[in-house]
Amino acid sequence: MEDTRTSPEGVQTPAQTEAADYLRSLLNKNLRVTTTDSRMFWGAFKCTDPESNLVLQHTYEYRHPSMQKQAEGSAAAAAASGATATPGSSVAQTFKMDMTSRYLGLVVVPGEHIVKIELEEFASQMKRGPQYRSPTEL
Amino acid sequence: MTMAEDEGTTMSNEFLGLSINNPNLFYTDEPPPPPPMVSSEGIIATDITRKFAAAAATLAPGELVKDGHFTLFESVGALEIMDPKMDSGCLAPGESLDEEYDVARHLLPSEVLGIIDQLLSLEMAWHLGYPLSQTLLTNVYIEAILMPAPATIDEADFIRNRNDGAPRDPMFAVLRAYCLGLLKSCWYVCERIKFEHYYEEEDFVTNTYHRSLLDNIDRDLIRDELMAARSILHNIRRTISEEMAQALGFRLELRTAFLRAIELSELRSNPESLSLPWSQMKAVWEPINKSHHLGSPVPKAFSTKIQRKLASTMPPRPIVHLSFEETYEHFRKLFIDGIDVLKVLNYSDSQSLLNFVLTFQAQKPQPLVYIRTLLQTFLFKDMIILGHLSIRYVIDDDLAIVVLPCSRLLDPSNDDIEVPYDPRYAMAHQMELFRQRAAQSYLDIFRAFCQNRCRVRRTLYHAIQDWETVQMDAMAIDRLLQVQLEEKPIFYQPSLFVSEEVAPEPAYSLPLSSWALLYKLRLMEWIVQLGFELETYQPDELAGMYWYLGHLAKTRGQLVERIKAFTMHRRANHRLPLTPAMEAQYERSLAYLRVTMLDAVATWEFSRVLSCMYTVLLRLKLIVPPPRPYSTDALRYEIRMKPFLSITLPELPTIEAFTQGTTQPECSTASLIECASNAIGGARKSFDVLGKLSEQDAFAVDTHERWLRGTKNCFKSIIAASIAISNLSDGTKGGVEGGEGLQVVVPKPDKGYHEWWIVPKITQKR
Repeated sequence: MEDTRTSPEGVQTPAQTEAADYLRSLLNKNLRVTTTDSRMFWGAFKCTDPESNLVLQHTYEYRHPSMQKQAEGSAAAAAASGATATPGSSVAQTFKMDMTSRYLGLVVVPGEHIVKIELEEFASQMKRGPQYRSPTEL
Repeated sequence: MTMAEDEGTTMSNEFLGLSINNPNLFYTDEPPPPPPMVSSEGIIATDITRKFAAAAATLAPGELVKDGHFTLFESVGALEIMDPKMDSGCLAPGESLDEEYDVARHLLPSEVLGIIDQLLSLEMAWHLGYPLSQTLLTNVYIEAILMPAPATIDEADFIRNRNDGAPRDPMFAVLRAYCLGLLKSCWYVCERIKFEHYYEEEDFVTNTYHRSLLDNIDRDLIRDELMAARSILHNIRRTISEEMAQALGFRLELRTAFLRAIELSELRSNPESLSLPWSQMKAVWEPINKSHHLGSPVPKAFSTKIQRKLASTMPPRPIVHLSFEETYEHFRKLFIDGIDVLKVLNYSDSQSLLNFVLTFQAQKPQPLVYIRTLLQTFLFKDMIILGHLSIRYVIDDDLAIVVLPCSRLLDPSNDDIEVPYDPRYAMAHQMELFRQRAAQSYLDIFRAFCQNRCRVRRTLYHAIQDWETVQMDAMAIDRLLQVQLEEKPIFYQPSLFVSEEVAPEPAYSLPLSSWALLYKLRLMEWIVQLGFELETYQPDELAGMYWYLGHLAKTRGQLVERIKAFTMHRRANHRLPLTPAMEAQYERSLAYLRVTMLDAVATWEFSRVLSCMYTVLLRLKLIVPPPRPYSTDALRYEIRMKPFLSITLPELPTIEAFTQGTTQPECSTASLIECASNAIGGARKSFDVLGKLSEQDAFAVDTHERWLRGTKNCFKSIIAASIAISNLSDGTKGGVEGGEGLQVVVPKPDKGYHEWWIVPKITQKR
């Protein structure tokens, strides 16, 4: 690939057009965006720019329980299973905790704080039709 | 006849447009979309991090990929994640989301008192318009009670999973009971306010951030907890000191009484019995204030961190700090207003009711929004006025007072006539049409005055348009009814404020349209007067606005004179001798016309005084208009008079008439001063007579004290004005060029004696 930037005349290269098409195809789809502080934001993709700053609508924030809460949860799970625990089982390691969530609405996630972007799709829809492939995968 | 039905809804629409139906960017309390299932069989998440970043990187600088329906304007409201100022979830390095405060830690009695007093301040801050997120929901005990939402009274505790049967620590029991009582009363307050008309961004934030304020827990159970906590205090009074036990006990008593007051207010019955809990609160409030020093504050029990757990699009905001002195004052006023507002339930007559609402709302500071919504509930709930009167009853009472004493039109037995060609059948039918047309507009006046002062003025703009059409429809009905009543025209000659003799012309009484016009005129005067109160006009505009107010008051005076002439005529020409009851009705109506006339004349005269004074001050350049490079007198006149532009009666004066009336170029400065000094005598006399009226004659039953205070303040304003005039007269003895030795201050509305009368302070320069 030679030059992926807009040429001085403002003409877009095919690679640029395709990249923009790809981003457009994601619009209004639900993304899960993980930030550097390991929170996750779930919302509908509305807008982005060259720095990958993301605007998400109807966003929920998800946060892993704090270490303290995890320890408490683990202890509680161990205690609960203690009565019926069979020797050798390791319940304490496999207990489940819900991520705490809250509704935030419209948010901007700056590109610099993003560590992961995931696209949510229905399994049923993924099977149908050819999947889009980005220029880098071609 | 044209019944402009769609017009009739104008003002109701204004109310519908209130923020209750208008979700706001920050405070929106509408339920968010359901949370997603993070792990679900049917949904597959693909990592597109690199693909996305690579694609985005190819965009040109400044280029955006965005959804067509999404505007950048919207994005202004978006929260920026990881920005500590915007993102309430953003943690400082090493910071934990969890509260470090342990709600199970032992509390001293003084600490419980300190926490309760802080909660009192925050509760008041909420009443004053701050959101719960910055007030009560910053308290760790409250958060622990509310989250996770308790399903039973036993779960409603900041210490969950207690061993059943083990008694609570006494101090925990007290604090918990207090918090339960507090939260439940907040729930009721919030529901009451949401049910009535208020302005979300200006008056009150009803958002509870998806915290349920114990709405599913029965009030009686909470009352039991409060009672139990009080008996615990009684038992331990020796250990924690009598004084401390009493101080905490008063605070619990306050909560019990508040819940009781709310419970009783639903009844809308006898004000004396309803006021008991309010009096109780007022009584315990003083000792609460005096025992405040016993508490020791626990600042750690309040944290803005809790905001991170609230469903909110708000960036984190600081805790609102209200001093205990301010808290004391506001609560004191709340309890006094709580007692006072109940008196509205004592209905005497429609005009006293209106005066009650007017004077109650004119208080400075205005009653809190909770009290204002309580007033609305008393007035309108279920379309039954004050809990026992039909709308028809109140309107007919008003018509009888203002224009139709002893009129056949208001005879309820007309309804029973079933013969269509009987005139009474037509009367009943037409009157019912009229009531249907006018009822909403009439009630909206009361509703409008229950809003905050700025909104009152704005709402009245719409109201006068509405009354314009009511008046036209009333005119059509008047014409039909005068046929049914076989009314003969009388030769009516107006005399009041008329400069040249007008030949008497045959005229009909037109009672319904006169009634509508009278209200419209009052509304128009109120708009101008509220303009003074709200500092809408610049000092150099006061001459003109007082001139216009005088013009309106004069028109009202002429109308009242006309109504009175027809009432007198009808009284003198009754077919049958008047019964004592009928005499009394006539007397009542004439008393009303008298007080209205006095008020109109006083307003007219005093407006004339002030208009002349301000004109002189402008001439002497003692008031200098600010530079207005992009404005002209004509443009300013248009904008000021915009609300009145579409009113046909009274027609808006032309700018020429306005300029002429304001500047009075034909009058010398000396004669203007003399004119003001003459007019002030008339105004003074009118206010003096008004001030001596009994509460019945003033139509201020149950609100006479407040009404009288307002009238007395007008009188004081007049005294201030006469002093100003004599100073002005002394200072200008040297001729037109005089006035250099004078100093003029135009005071703020709240610095004078009455907000509606801005009297300039004129003094000799030292």
